[in-house]
Amino acid sequence: MSEDFEPKIVAFVCNWCTYLAADLAGTNRLEYPPNVRILRLPCTGRVDFNLIIKALEMGADAVVVSGCHPGDCHYTAGNYHARRRWILFRELLETMGIETNRIFFSWISAAESKKWQHMITEITDQIREMGPYTAYHEISEATA
Amino acid sequence: MTGQLRERCRRLLQDGAVQVVIGYGVSTSDGMPHPIFVRRPDDVDKLIWNEQCMANLTTYLTRDAVKALGKPAIVVKGCDARALVVLEQECQIDRSAMHVIGMACAGVGSPRAPKCASCDVHVPAAADEVIGEAPAQTGPADPPYAELEEFLQKSPAERFAYWREEAARCIRCYACREVCPTCYCPRCIVDKNRPACLDTSATVKANFAWHVTRAFHQAGRCTGCGECTRVCPVGINMRLLNQSLARAADEHFGYRAGTNRETPPIIGAYGLEDKESFIR
Amino acid sequence: MSELIAQEALPGLVAKWLAQGKRVAGPSVVKPGYCLYVELKSSAQLALEGFIRPRNSIKEFVFPHHEAICRYHFSGHTVETEDCDPPQVDQVIVGARPCDAAALPILDHLFTWDYEDKFYTERRKATTVVTLACQAHDDACFCTSLDLGPAAEQGSDVLLLAVPGGYEVRCLTDKGRALFAGETRTVEQTAVVPPGPPVMVAPGTIMAFLQARYDDPMWADLALRCLGCGACAYTCPTCHCFDIVDEGTAAGGCRVKNWDCCQFAMFTQHASGHNPRSGQSQRQRQRIQHKFRIYPEKFGVMLCTGCGNCARNCPVGLGVLSTLKETAGSAPVEVGV
Ligand code: SF4
Ligand code: SF4
Ligand code: SF4
Ligand code: SF4
Ligand code: FES
Repeated sequence: MSEDFEPKIVAFVCNWCTYLAADLAGTNRLEYPPNVRILRLPCTGRVDFNLIIKALEMGADAVVVSGCHPGDCHYTAGNYHARRRWILFRELLETMGIETNRIFFSWISAAESKKWQHMITEITDQIREMGPYTAYHEISEATA
Repeated sequence: MTGQLRERCRRLLQDGAVQVVIGYGVSTSDGMPHPIFVRRPDDVDKLIWNEQCMANLTTYLTRDAVKALGKPAIVVKGCDARALVVLEQECQIDRSAMHVIGMACAGVGSPRAPKCASCDVHVPAAADEVIGEAPAQTGPADPPYAELEEFLQKSPAERFAYWREEAARCIRCYACREVCPTCYCPRCIVDKNRPACLDTSATVKANFAWHVTRAFHQAGRCTGCGECTRVCPVGINMRLLNQSLARAADEHFGYRAGTNRETPPIIGAYGLEDKESFIR
Repeated sequence: MSELIAQEALPGLVAKWLAQGKRVAGPSVVKPGYCLYVELKSSAQLALEGFIRPRNSIKEFVFPHHEAICRYHFSGHTVETEDCDPPQVDQVIVGARPCDAAALPILDHLFTWDYEDKFYTERRKATTVVTLACQAHDDACFCTSLDLGPAAEQGSDVLLLAVPGGYEVRCLTDKGRALFAGETRTVEQTAVVPPGPPVMVAPGTIMAFLQARYDDPMWADLALRCLGCGACAYTCPTCHCFDIVDEGTAAGGCRVKNWDCCQFAMFTQHASGHNPRSGQSQRQRQRIQHKFRIYPEKFGVMLCTGCGNCARNCPVGLGVLSTLKETAGSAPVEVGV
C-alpha cells in the first residue's frame, strides 16, 4: 500500500455514550489518529443503514457505529433495535460482496475514553494495512 | 378448479358477501392470466385459474382505488397468502373484512418459478376456503436457500462484481417495488426529495444504494413470493438479496415472515440475547 | 440486384468500428431470457437472432436514463456553476429493430420543438442506426397498425435484411453509406420482406375516440390493475419524460436530467402537495391520450411505433395495445393522422 494512504473513517456515534467518550478522550489528551470523522446522532437506533452506505459512497474507507452498552441506552432499547438490524444488515452486505470487515460496531460508554482511543487506533492501522476501499469508490464514480 | 372458483365467486357476489373479486383473468393481448376485478355475478366467467397465475394479488389490498370498491374476495396461492399475515401484523389490512379464497397449487410458471421447488405451502394456510386438493406427487421440498448458498460459494470480490453488473442494468422503473405486497409505503424513501435521501439517477452508485434499501426494507418481511424478480424488465435477481435476509431471519431468530401472525415481527422487536459476537 | 454482406463478415465489421474507437451498441443476451440493447465491448456480445426484440429500446443511446447537465459548488455565499458539454460520441447502433429506429424521428419533434435539447440532438447527429428487418413477431407487436412494418425504414441509416448466408444491405443515408462503403458486394438476389403482424387497431379512429371520451368511466376500470411503475415507459422507444434534479452535498453537486414516468404518483405532484393527477386512472388516461391524441395533434405523428414493449414488460399484462383494443375496438379502418 502506498505510504501516504491515510484511511478515511466515518464514525456514527450516539450522543449519550460514545460521543462523550470521544469528548473525554480529548479532554484527557488521549492521542488517537486524526483519521476519524465523528458524526453525532441521538442514538444508535437512529443510525439508518443508508448512512453507512452514504459514507462509503462519499469515500469512506471504513465506517464505525458506536453507542451505549446494552441496558444503558438513553432511550432504553434503541441499541437493542439497532443490534438486531445490524445482524441482518451484515448478511445482506455479505451477499452483495460489500467488505463487512470495514464496518465496525461497538459499545463504548461515556467513561470508556481509553476504549475509544484503542479502537480507533487499531481500526486505523488495520485499514491502513488493507488500503483504500477502491472497489466501492469505483462504483461511486462510475456514471453508467 | 376454474369452474368451482367461478361458482363460489358468483355466489359470493350474488349474496352480497363481497363487492369485488380480485382474481385472475385471461388477457386479450398475450393470453396469460393477469389481475382482474370482478364486480358483477355475470362477469365471473372471466375468472380463471391455471399454472400461469403468477401475480401475487395481495399487493392490491393496500391500494386506495381497490379499497374503494368495497369488501373484496381475493384469490391466493399458498405463497401469496403469507403476505396477508405480514399485512395483518403490520395493521395494513383488516383480515376479517375480506374473504380469502385459497387455491391448492402444485407450482406455477413454465419453466416452474424458482420458489416452487422449495414450496411448503401447496395448500394455502389461513384461507377462508380452499379450492382444489393438495397436489399428490409433490416430492420433498428443496432446501429453501439453495440458490443463495450456491451464490455464496463465490468470493466476496466476485459477488461484488456480480452485483456491480446487475446494478448497472437497473433502470429504476420500480416495478419491483410496486408489485411487492409489502412495499406499500405511500411515499417511498427514494421518492422523498425535500431533501433527497437516495439519488434517483440510475448510476451504479445510486442503484447499489437503491438495491440495499429495497432489500433491507423487506428484512424479516419479504415472504419470498418472487414477484420483484419476475417483473424486473432487465432480469435483476433480487431473489438472492431477499433470500439472504430471509435466511438470516431464520437462522438468527427462527423467524419466517408470514408464517405465524402471533410471533412479533422481528424488526419491530428485539431480544436481550441477540447475537453480538461482531460488536466490540 | 442488391448489396450483400456475408453473415460472418458482420461481426468483423462491428469489431472494426470498435477498433476505430466508435461506441457500438446492439442487442445482447445478458442472461438467459433477457436480451437487451447494450454498449458492446466486443462483437461476440452481439445477438441478432433467437428473440423477438430486446426488452429495452435504443432511446437510451440518444436520451440516457441519467445525464449530468451542470455542476455547482458553493463557496461562501455564492454558487459557482459550470455547464456540462453535450457529449460528442461517434456511435453506431447495430441490429436495431425498425420499431426502435422509427422512434427517433418521432422524438426529434419534441427535442427540437420550443428549445433544442443539445444533449439529445448532438448525440442524435453522431449516431448511425443500422437496423435489422424483423423475421418474426409476437402477440404484442402491432407496428403495422401504425404504418410501420418489419422492414420500415424510418429513422434508419442502413437497413439489413436477412438472406441466405448474410444480409442484404440497403444504405438509406450518407451516414449509412459511409459505414458500409467497400464492405459489401453486389449480388443478384434480393431479400423477401417477411409479413408483419396483422393490422389490429386504427389510430385514426382512436384519436376521435380519445377526443370524445376524455371523462369516460372506463379509464377507472382500465387503470385498476395498473401498479404505477415505470416498466412500460422506461422500455418504450418513444416515451421521453424526464426530471431535472440536483444531487449533491453541502459542498456542491450536479444537476441531472433523469428519466421520469407519467405513471408514477409523484410525477405531477406539486410542491404544495396538490396533485392534479391524483389517481392511477388519470395517469393511465394521460399515457394513452398523450400518445394517440395530444402528440399527434401537436406534431402530426403518433407517439408509438407498435413495438409492444409496454405489454411485454408490464407486470400485469397491460400495454397500449390491449387498452386500444378495449377502447376503440379492433376494426381496422384507415390508418394515419
Ligand atoms: S424492476 Fe428491475 S429495473 Fe426496475 S427498479 Fe426494480 S430492479 Fe431496477
Ligand atoms: S420483496 Fe419480492 S419476493 Fe419479497 S414479498 Fe416483495 S415482491 Fe415478494
Ligand atoms: S407505447 Fe408501447 S407499443 Fe408503443 S412504442 Fe411505447 S412501448 Fe412500444
Ligand atoms: S401499465 Fe404496467 S408497466 Fe405501465 S405503470 Fe402500469 S403496471 Fe407498470
Ligand atoms: S442513546 Fe446511546 S445507543 Fe441509544
